[in-house]
Amino acid sequence: MRYEYTVETEDLAKYYYMGRYVVKALDGVNIRIRRGEYVSIMGPSGSGKTTLFNMIGGLDRPTRGRVYIDEVDISKLDAYELAWLRNRKIGYVFQTFNLIPVLTALENVMLPMIFAGVPREERIKRATELLQRVGLGDRLHHKPTELSGGQQQRVAIARALANDPAIVLADEPTGNLDLHTGLEIINLMRTLNKEKGVTIVTATHDLKMIDVSDRIIYLRDGKVQRIETRAEVSAEYEE
Amino acid sequence: MSVGEWKIGSIKLPFSEAFRITLENIKKRFVRAAITTASIILGIAFMVSILMMAQIQQSATGAIEGIRAYQYWLLFISLLVSGVGITNSMLIAVAERYKEIGTMKCLGALDKHILTFFLLESSIIGGLGGILGYVVGIIAGVIYGVTQFGMDAVVKALVSPGLLGFNIPAVISLLLASTILAIFLSIVASLYPAYYAAKLNPADALRYEI
Repeated sequence: MRYEYTVETEDLAKYYYMGRYVVKALDGVNIRIRRGEYVSIMGPSGSGKTTLFNMIGGLDRPTRGRVYIDEVDISKLDAYELAWLRNRKIGYVFQTFNLIPVLTALENVMLPMIFAGVPREERIKRATELLQRVGLGDRLHHKPTELSGGQQQRVAIARALANDPAIVLADEPTGNLDLHTGLEIINLMRTLNKEKGVTIVTATHDLKMIDVSDRIIYLRDGKVQRIETRAEVSAEYEE
Repeated sequence: MSVGEWKIGSIKLPFSEAFRITLENIKKRFVRAAITTASIILGIAFMVSILMMAQIQQSATGAIEGIRAYQYWLLFISLLVSGVGITNSMLIAVAERYKEIGTMKCLGALDKHILTFFLLESSIIGGLGGILGYVVGIIAGVIYGVTQFGMDAVVKALVSPGLLGFNIPAVISLLLASTILAIFLSIVASLYPAYYAAKLNPADALRYEI
């Protein structure tokens, strides 16, 4: 079964109540992301990027509106189904890498497969292949503290792809990396997006991300300010 | 189970994997685990030494004096203190690992898996503390017995059955009681921290910075 839209949001809103104040982190967001697209969500800090990331990723419940992943309304899922969604349909990449510190690179990549019930031999085979694919074939048995930031983020990307998800959600994936390493990570994600056809959504304010994105969604004060395709952005720069 | 076009499969965490990850966690935070274990050792050692001394006294003098009420009270308080210590230490363990808990949930962990990790950790610490506490308590009891009544009374006390109502030698019944009680105490003391960790909302857990 193929879906046209991997992610769809409908009047999505998230309010935080702080005493008498209401903070509208997201306020009526409507976006549609096609299968295989590479979309960047841009905006200053506090614009609602991370909140949108949490809503799409099934990590938090919206105040209002709906999120559809592969045309399934995820607000209707119970705790077990949400765990399954996070395990199989979504891969997460974080600014701070978030590898499990006591596990090696290989074990980190195998962890989502353990939850998915993949047999041990296959786990090892698939995790090794993924780590080789992101260029860490010689670092399989290193713990996160023995890896550089860029290497840790590569492990995180391999882990995000472990169960062949429909989407990879990346929240500021280059935020803790230097310019050069950040660019390597961006190019790696773009290559994997093309190669595996996995939809990638990144929340970022890294302008390097624009070059590889199919579309850029600009978020401001919890609302979509404008959506541009790469062609439009390039045209702007040429002007 | 199916939702829309999805076939919702099962989410698993084999015990062997949970155990391995828990051992790694204990190794990684060895000092904190050691301090928690020490608090259990003290409580259990106190209990074992009191029971031992009463047993030695009884077998040496023949008087069925047993344990006095105030000693039970001391025993209860010492175990309570060690339980509160475990709760405190496990709450710190949860706070240290907010981000890890959030990440685990992103990778597909269910609430019960997070619960398993923390309860398993406290049972291992509890079991270890129980056994070591038993050893320390026996040593203390033996020193007391040998100096007061001589070696024969001590040996007689250790092999004679009947302690705590078990029909097995006291050395063994004390070991069983120490280990089981320590694990039980440790699990009860960790219930709240583990439940709190399991119920964390992943988005909140990820936002937390130490």
